[in-house]
Formats: sequence, C-alpha cells, structure tokens
Amino acid sequence: MPVPGHVGSDYERLRPDFRVIRDPYAADKRVMLVPAIRPDVALVHAHLADTAGTLLLEEREDDALLAQASRVVIASAERIVPTDLIRRAPTGITLEGLHVTAVVEVPRGAHPTAVRGVYDIDERHLRAYMAAARDNATFKTYLDRYVFGPRAHDEYLDAVSRP
Amino acid sequence: MAIAISREVRDGETVAVGTLAPVPAAGVLLAHLSHAPRARVFIFNHEDYWPFRQGSKEFYDYAQRGNFDLFFLSGGQIDRHGNLNLITIGDHDHPTLRFPGGAGSAMLYYMARRVIIFRMDHAPRIFVERVGTIASPGSSPPDVVRPGGPWKAITPLCVFRFDAATRTLVVESVHPGITADVLQRRTGFPLDLPTPLPVTPPPTAAELSLLRGRVRESLAKAYPRFAEAVLASR
Repeated sequence: MPVPGHVGSDYERLRPDFRVIRDPYAADKRVMLVPAIRPDVALVHAHLADTAGTLLLEEREDDALLAQASRVVIASAERIVPTDLIRRAPTGITLEGLHVTAVVEVPRGAHPTAVRGVYDIDERHLRAYMAAARDNATFKTYLDRYVFGPRAHDEYLDAVSRP
Repeated sequence: MAIAISREVRDGETVAVGTLAPVPAAGVLLAHLSHAPRARVFIFNHEDYWPFRQGSKEFYDYAQRGNFDLFFLSGGQIDRHGNLNLITIGDHDHPTLRFPGGAGSAMLYYMARRVIIFRMDHAPRIFVERVGTIASPGSSPPDVVRPGGPWKAITPLCVFRFDAATRTLVVESVHPGITADVLQRRTGFPLDLPTPLPVTPPPTAAELSLLRGRVRESLAKAYPRFAEAVLASR
C-alpha cells in the first residue's frame, strides 16, 4: 500500500521490502509502497466482550485494525457482559465477533499498563521492570517471579500486589 | 522554550502536538489562550483537544491529507541538515544505541506544512554533523511529494531556523544569557553565527503568568506530573 513521505529516508536502505515506484497517478513523482502486515496471531485486550466475541476496544488504539489483519485473534477482556452493554457503550470501538477466534475474561488483564477509566498504569511496577531490565541477572529474577512463576492470572496479580 | 514555541503558532492555523511533548503542548496552549484563539488545536491525550475516536489511524489519516499547518517532532540525533534519527546509531543490526523507532515521523515531516523540531537538551551528541540513520530527512528532491518540512528547531539554548536555500539549520537567536561560545561547544557541528548575535526576546510577565496559570491547569489534563513539577508556582 502507498504511504506518504518516507522516500529518501534510510527506510529505503534498511527495508528492501519497502519499494519506491513512479507514482502511477503523477508521473513526475515517486511514492513508497509498503507491504501489508499479516500477523499469524493477535492478542488484544478489550474493555468489554460478549460470548460471541464482540469486543469494546480502546478508542485511542488500533486493536480493531490489528485484529482484522491477523489470522488468529485471541481477545482478553476486563468483563464478559451481555451484548447490549457493548452496543450501548458511549465510547470505544466495537469489533464484531466474526474477526475474533477466542475470548477470555481476564480482569486487570492489561496490567502493568492501563485500561482507561478502569485502572491506571502501575507506575511502581513499571519502574521495577525498568530497573530489572538493566541486566540479564536481575531480568531473569523478574521473569521468574512474574512470568514463569505464576501458574495463572490470579497468581500473577497476587505476585505484583506484593512490594 | 514553551514561550518561543508559542510565538510560532499563528491564529487560524491547524496545530497538532503528538506524544511525549509537554513543552510543545504548553507552548501551543499558551498561544491558543492568547494570540491564537481561532487556531484549531490537537494535543494527544488531552480530553479537550483530542477528538479522534477511531484509533491512531484516524489521526494519521487526517495528517496524511496535509491538514496540519504546524506539528512538532524530535529525534535521538538531529543534524545540521534537519535530518532526524529515531532508529539506531552504529551498524543497524548491531547498534550501539537503539531509539524507539520513527513511528509516523517520516510522514508527518513531509505532510505537516511547518515542523518545529524540539529537544529538551542541547548537546554535541544530539546536534550532530550527520545522523547515524535517517528516519526523516530534512529535505527532499523535487520528485517527492512534500508540501511540508522543517521550520525551526527550538532548544534550551537557542532557536534555529531551517534555511531552505542551503538546507541547513542556522541560528536565529540565542536565549538570554547564552553566549556564542557556549552554544558552539554544546553543538556538534560548526555554527555560522551572526554578529551581533540576536537574543530571543525574553518572556513577558503576561506570558509567564498565563503559562503558570491557565496553561498549567489545562496542561495537567494531559501531563499532570509535568504541569505540577515544572509550572506550579514555587
């Protein structure tokens, strides 16, 4: 697909899959084409979902586009609710279940990032992550404690709630 | 810096401020609350100034149409030709430093009519002769659609303007108290400084009062910590 700009940048050198062609609609101009991104699997987190996979997604993000580009879409949601609650929601982007492979209820599933209007970023945890990520040994400790240690989401939430 | 940015905003224009840009946001708010009341203003994540409801795609599509008269970009490195590096320094596959990525900058730098480059620090490792990787070039040949490009670069030390003829950043003014010697030592490419060196007009009492009052209150909706830490009266 064509993208404005980009021509003459180092994307031309670094991304051989980005092509620069003569603009077929303006012969004296060049334009950059980029290939569509086709993920095998997309993981998206929704504010709300129903059991048919209808999702209510954050309106500032592009999760609906991501889901439509992907072969398999696994959606987690803060709450599974009756469909009419999604239809009546005043804000957010609705995505129909036809784009969604599986849906699972995961409260606080965006942690340590935020779900706007539900809970804020866990700044303390993110600072701990940043400190841990500075070297391999401390990062391994982080992974063991928060990623490989907890056997399920409630154990993860329990682990992150302890200082 | 916020006040220097504010003075670049023209009434009636469409002006947008992207992510992680509290100082441009403060400058644009200051302009909107003073000399540019009819500017159409967009500030990312500000409830009063961010009407996009269909993801960031809606914003980028709007920008791609060339709707923005003024936008703000930064770079991990910025060179004398206005090239911005948001990608890597060193061998791309084994970089000495990796930046977050160009995101939309390689489109916005072309499609926004005037782009102000901003950096909160001014050092030789940032303002370099030649960036390691060009995420967004400062200028383009005539066979590239480019209605926009660099206009000014504003730092804690000075205001550069982008000279279209030589395609370079040239010093327009230094902020009060900054000498030519300091500016040159903290810039990684040779500066051709005019004599006498013009000085950025200092902030007026009215500008400072507005900045610390209504601008701070509004800015807190998008940047609460910054508004409190930097603009609250001490």
